[in-house]
Amino acid sequence: MTSAKISFRLIFSLFVTAFSIYLVFLLNPDGAPRILLNLLTFAGIYGLSAIGLNVHFGWTGLLNFGHASFMGVGAYVTLLLMPHAAGREGEVTTTGLPFFAALILGIGAAALFGLLLGLPAIRLRGDYLAIVTIAAAEIFRLLVRDLESITGGVYGIINYTDNFQKYRPLFIDNFSENLGFSPSQAWVCLAAWVSIFITVLLLKRLSDSPWGRALRAVREDEDAVRAMGKNAVWLKLQSFMLGAGIAGLSGVLLAFNYGSLETTVFIPLLTFYVWAIMILGGVGTITGPIFGSIIFWVIISETDRLAYLLFENANGQQLAGVRFLLVGVLIMFLMIFRPSGLLGKKEELLLDVK
Amino acid sequence: MLDQLGNGLLLGIIISVASVALSLLYGVTRIVNFAHGEIIALGAIATLFFSSPLDYRVLFLDKFSPLGLNFVISCILAILVCGLFGGLLEVFLFRPLRKNDVGNIAVLVVTIGLSILVRHLYLLFATGRVQNFPLELQRRQTYLFFDMTPRNLNVLIIGIIVMIIVGLLLTYTRLGKAMRAVRDSGELSSVSGINSDNIILITWVSSSMLAGLAGIFQATINDVRWNMGFLILLLIFAGTVLGGIGTSFGAMVGGLLIGIMVQVSVGLPFMEGHSEAKNAVALGIMILILLFRPQGIFGKKERIS
Repeated sequence: MTSAKISFRLIFSLFVTAFSIYLVFLLNPDGAPRILLNLLTFAGIYGLSAIGLNVHFGWTGLLNFGHASFMGVGAYVTLLLMPHAAGREGEVTTTGLPFFAALILGIGAAALFGLLLGLPAIRLRGDYLAIVTIAAAEIFRLLVRDLESITGGVYGIINYTDNFQKYRPLFIDNFSENLGFSPSQAWVCLAAWVSIFITVLLLKRLSDSPWGRALRAVREDEDAVRAMGKNAVWLKLQSFMLGAGIAGLSGVLLAFNYGSLETTVFIPLLTFYVWAIMILGGVGTITGPIFGSIIFWVIISETDRLAYLLFENANGQQLAGVRFLLVGVLIMFLMIFRPSGLLGKKEELLLDVK
Repeated sequence: MLDQLGNGLLLGIIISVASVALSLLYGVTRIVNFAHGEIIALGAIATLFFSSPLDYRVLFLDKFSPLGLNFVISCILAILVCGLFGGLLEVFLFRPLRKNDVGNIAVLVVTIGLSILVRHLYLLFATGRVQNFPLELQRRQTYLFFDMTPRNLNVLIIGIIVMIIVGLLLTYTRLGKAMRAVRDSGELSSVSGINSDNIILITWVSSSMLAGLAGIFQATINDVRWNMGFLILLLIFAGTVLGGIGTSFGAMVGGLLIGIMVQVSVGLPFMEGHSEAKNAVALGIMILILLFRPQGIFGKKERIS
């Protein structure tokens, strides 16, 4: 693979991304900035999650279908460690850690959950790993829903956003006022994109390090890695923890974007969203999911028009239905016709495993 | 705990029939079919469409009114529709993928996309509400030591008979032997004159028909929902894995065991007030089985790492 070819792909992806953002302005003459902010916030958060998934699947070849649970562990641990209100009665907890301490513990908990799940599961072959991870994610969701005294159960967690919003710099308020944004969402959006930036820098360094090369060698040929005296299982576990930690961070951001947290957020469909973004952006790349995420969310945010074409007076269920329909079509068609996505390299795909 | 045994048997027979279908398909084609649940839902939705009274609007699309056929005929038609759907999937989707040497992992992801697509087609065009078959309500009666309605007892008996027939067909007919030959080795079986494309097509059709039957069972015992297949899919995986993935007899027993365990676990002391978590028990058992006895109860030892 020559570098000229890669940079052509990069320019093409940039062009498609820019065009899709332009499309938002074109289709929404009024209120485009507000729609764009909402879209970019979700794109940032899901993009970050997809970057984490790419460490699992793209780098190491681990078929993880329980990504939602890593996001969930990060979100729940972080929120529960801070002042919040939870449960049917909205029971208030006033004491707690400051935001950054809770965030670090939340990310750590997500990574630890990755390790716990990885320890046994990592020995399994691809398709078995897929079943185990999706089952583990469902167990997590069912337990969170059931342990109402701790997690708030189906009633969820509320009143936690101030922990994060009190750090909001003043320029965001001024800036948002001019453009008619919600300042709190603008702050979450900024945080998401700063997180992506830092994560990408970190991963770029890791990817070129001997460690990153060893990871990709695990994907290509585990036995060869063993023969070189590397511990393949430990490498896989490290990859699982790294990706889970990144997912945990994105889960926290998702919780702050929603403003209240319910267990229904972490259903398997969340994992499939992230999968669609990763495949669209390019499996095995670092920056691919960023482009994939923006394009994906432009498509998602404009599907409501399609829903209104299909059904007059479409209700919420129908709007959501059309969205998910499109996600399914996207996953299927990308996997059949362009499994390497926008930026991916076909040679780096681990899809022909028998 | 024992009062849940009847419910457990009923859930078990649904999972059991569906697990045999999934296991058969996996054995012959090596496809982990995440769209299996959608074929199950198709069985229920098609039956609803064929059997509901003419003036009853089951579908969002006002152009179609239900056909109002006899219930048994509706069920048979629905099973045929499922078989047709499975056959079409094989001919137009999975056969081309196989001919292009697309790997198993990619096919698995394709089935996930297919499952999301089809499920939301049901939501949009079939039924977004919870519906019931047009059958009269029945009172529960006590048989031996478990309670169920006479209709559900029939479901149980039909399920067991179907399983026995499937088992006999697989063991003693030419077709069953050919299926098992393709499962064991595609190349060797084609050398000995078995047309593996045909066998795989027949497997898809029969697996889908069994799945449709499981859907009719589920809808008769409970109700028809657009996402009914996805709700039960993980339990079906659990049943398949418990019995030993790829073995039909194992899937039968594994499915029954999972169904009974899910329902009986509601009665366990530490589960008091946590009935929502009953599915977690089955999934936990599945993970433990995969870790300590990955070949399941009846499976042959095979490298799965």
